[in-house]
Amino acid sequence: MRESLSRLYALSKRNAKEIVRDPLSLIFMIGLPLFMEILFYLLFHKLTDQFQMIYLAPGIVVFSQAFLTLFTGQLIALDRSTSLLTRLYVSKATPVEFILSYALPILPLTLVQSILFFLVGGIFDAGLFGVKMLLAIPLSLVTSLFFIGMGILFGSLCSEKSIGGIASILIACQSVLSGMWFPIEGLGDGMLALMNALPFRNATLLVQNTVNGIGDAFADFWRPLLILLGYTLAAFVSAVLVFRRKMKQ
Amino acid sequence: MAAIRTTNLTKSYKDLVAVDNLNLTVEEGELFSLLGVNGAGKTTTVKMLSTLVKPTSGEATVCGFALGREDGKIKELVDISMQETAIARKLTVRENIELFARLSGQKKDEIAETARRIYEDFGLGKVANKKAAELSGGWQRKLSIALSLVTRPKLLFLDEPTLGLDVLARRELWRVIENLKGKMTIVLTTHYMEEAEALSDRIGIMRDGRLLFVGTKEELYAKTGKNDVENAFIEVVSGGDCNA
Repeated sequence: MRESLSRLYALSKRNAKEIVRDPLSLIFMIGLPLFMEILFYLLFHKLTDQFQMIYLAPGIVVFSQAFLTLFTGQLIALDRSTSLLTRLYVSKATPVEFILSYALPILPLTLVQSILFFLVGGIFDAGLFGVKMLLAIPLSLVTSLFFIGMGILFGSLCSEKSIGGIASILIACQSVLSGMWFPIEGLGDGMLALMNALPFRNATLLVQNTVNGIGDAFADFWRPLLILLGYTLAAFVSAVLVFRRKMKQ
Repeated sequence: MAAIRTTNLTKSYKDLVAVDNLNLTVEEGELFSLLGVNGAGKTTTVKMLSTLVKPTSGEATVCGFALGREDGKIKELVDISMQETAIARKLTVRENIELFARLSGQKKDEIAETARRIYEDFGLGKVANKKAAELSGGWQRKLSIALSLVTRPKLLFLDEPTLGLDVLARRELWRVIENLKGKMTIVLTTHYMEEAEALSDRIGIMRDGRLLFVGTKEELYAKTGKNDVENAFIEVVSGGDCNA
């Protein structure tokens, strides 16, 4: 157990450094969403409720997490392409240790994203500050797990060159299917049913509803949480299976 | 005791038999070179013996432990330097060494001692705080090989270690490998015949997954009637049809 934790610490520390030392990852994970949060608020908050900070800030928190898929996936795909992972397989580290080492260092980064976007949102709308925001911050760690799990899965499956395109599809899905950028009332029932069945809108709703107040506990909190956790579990189980298979290959 | 003993070790991929009934013994402390043209099965052999690839059939013991059944114990005693450079590019040289040392279970003071030894053996001390990505190709390769020694293995696989290095860097690496002789068992795969000639205690020659010859240089010369490894190698792999 102690040996396992020591290996996990070593691998996690390395992965954290690889991500933080890549300026592009910080620009996309923090800079771009922050810019969008401020810009969209200033441009549109008087036109539609969609861009009031109480909706926009939690939406941006989850949207920024979609980039975690890209950078986690890129790191794994690059490690695979450079033989570093194969070299590390000779150590006693297990597939679960490898996967946790890619996931764990991302969590502090998620926390930074969440606190930053809520704090900046609070500057524009002080109503955002409060106990509900304090609850939404740790909850955003839960939503981030889905995107991290997808990153590990994509990174294990895709090549270094294709990971960008694949992860971009997921970022586009989060953008379009979360319903955070446009009113969804006009959409057909089929589209709404699809959005409610997929993880993207549920992740956004979970954080938005926590900030704005939960009316119906099941509909506003537990249902989106359970759907999201289902996808997260599926992503991680698939990632472990694919990773284990790649190790054997 | 034999560091490696294989009995009919075989690896097949669909229609391709990459390693075909390999029977090989490498003694402890020996430097054994495995030669062969591309696709001969050298790298697959090394990957099987270092637990990276599961054999299709056959048996092997590595450092006294059964391959497949006691891989955990083998992993503690074995390390490999891959054909490709395998380093964490955004970490410094020192951080790379620390990563691999920690993965092998070394404590803080042991890690410091390992780093000192690696700096000394490979001359990496002067670039210790440079990120691996900022090093030249030769230095990256050197670091990649040095990392396989961080774990203080009893059995070291060097898969084409000098591939892509200039002549000076290659000679420098030969010096490092020569210093390692006797301290651990080394299995070296290479395309450079002069490398095998200069470093090896014994040589194995593979073609199409089969081991065609095993013995000392002198035995190879005697068998082929040649007086250098390159011509003797050509004689063996061409089945005596080549009169180079």
